[in-house]
Amino acid sequence: MARDEKFKQEVLRLAGTEVRTCIQCGTCSASCPTASLMDPSIRRLIKLCLEGKREEALHNETLWLCTSCLLCTVRCPRGIRPKAVVSALKDIAERAGLQSKDASYEQFFLKQIKDFGRIAELSLTAEFLLVFPQGAVQSMQMGLELLPRGKIDLKIEKINGRDEVKRIVEELGKK
Amino acid sequence: MKLAYYPGCVSHSTGKEMDASTRAVCAALGIKLVELEDWNCCGATHVSNELVATGLAARNMAQTDLEIMTSCSICYSNLRAAAQRLEESETLEKVNAVLDRKYSGSKIRHALDVILEALAEDDERIAVPLKGLLVAPYYGCLLTRPTGLYSAEFPSILEKLIKRLKAEPVEFRLKTFCCGGPIFMPQEKAAEDIAFKILSEAKKAGAQVIVTVCPLCHLMLDAKQKVLEQKHGEPIGIPVLYVTQLAGIALGLGPEELGLDMNCVSPMAMVERVRAKETMLEQKS
Repeated sequence: MARDEKFKQEVLRLAGTEVRTCIQCGTCSASCPTASLMDPSIRRLIKLCLEGKREEALHNETLWLCTSCLLCTVRCPRGIRPKAVVSALKDIAERAGLQSKDASYEQFFLKQIKDFGRIAELSLTAEFLLVFPQGAVQSMQMGLELLPRGKIDLKIEKINGRDEVKRIVEELGKK
Repeated sequence: MKLAYYPGCVSHSTGKEMDASTRAVCAALGIKLVELEDWNCCGATHVSNELVATGLAARNMAQTDLEIMTSCSICYSNLRAAAQRLEESETLEKVNAVLDRKYSGSKIRHALDVILEALAEDDERIAVPLKGLLVAPYYGCLLTRPTGLYSAEFPSILEKLIKRLKAEPVEFRLKTFCCGGPIFMPQEKAAEDIAFKILSEAKKAGAQVIVTVCPLCHLMLDAKQKVLEQKHGEPIGIPVLYVTQLAGIALGLGPEELGLDMNCVSPMAMVERVRAKETMLEQKS
């Protein structure tokens, strides 16, 4: 496949130009708690970005298996932030309007911040499960633990500075 | 001491006991908390655009001139990382262009560090020393990463606090291993497998209680514990307390104040045990 230089530059802009210095040592993959489930590995994902392989870099489960634990980031001997590469790819995927179960969750999350300023866990979960009911059993089990202890809040809190928050999400999101 | 308090979104839902115990412990230690005005979500681990995440954190930080304390490691990590990025003038300029109150610097603290600082060695306010209680110090990821005050992989502040409360930290191999929480919504299985590994390891280490500094870690280890036991056919039965709850028990605060009835794996038997021990020792002396 053709090398997408524009895509590569966008990743470098968002995640840092030091990504270019990757020596493919694999410390990131070796540190990752979900590495065994990833294909491509996080090491390979970075290579795909540097080779400008946009499609392969954007369409995979790896992005959504990242737990943001940042172990890769504190261990990288080149000072690269592999988690920031994952975030950059998610951001690029979101802007390109790519749809997936995992991308939807992030979109619902950001929409709540934009609309209310805070997260209402119950309505976020409900909204997500309406679109992707596969997770309903786990969520129900969790709900049964939380509900009797008063830890599921039915009301949605809205902050006063919603316009400001909306501006943060929309205007800074374009940059 | 007076601090601005950033409760974070979960403090009004799945982390209510974190909020309750934070307020109770700070009151007991004479720390005045002023809730951050009109605070917003920090974006947790779900805002991919770094500049947006920085902006969300900056809006919170710009609401006060006081040092800001939070009990949530995710909020803590996000605010700290943002404060660091905002040291670059280009980022600061872009962010301040969309903010009402402009950001001009901030100091972020975790409740763990605030409590430890407030407690002296052999502090007489420790009414119920947690003698003989074996505690697994579970840091998770974000208290120490990306840029914390503590070693990213071998921190010891939690052990220090556990000892100050007169309990005993166990050697816990997975103490800075991720709980899987951030992906439990779209990737349930992967997240649950990781969480079970941590619980199982804590049990092997002989822990009678696990202490956490993050509401998502707490959710994964406490609210999911029963389901994970059933799924793996392995009983765990270890209460999971927020560090503020553990400190509160040692300070002699009541179960309601600390929200102990909201924990899914009940810590009450354990609390009764340490209390009974203390009463027995008092009677002896």
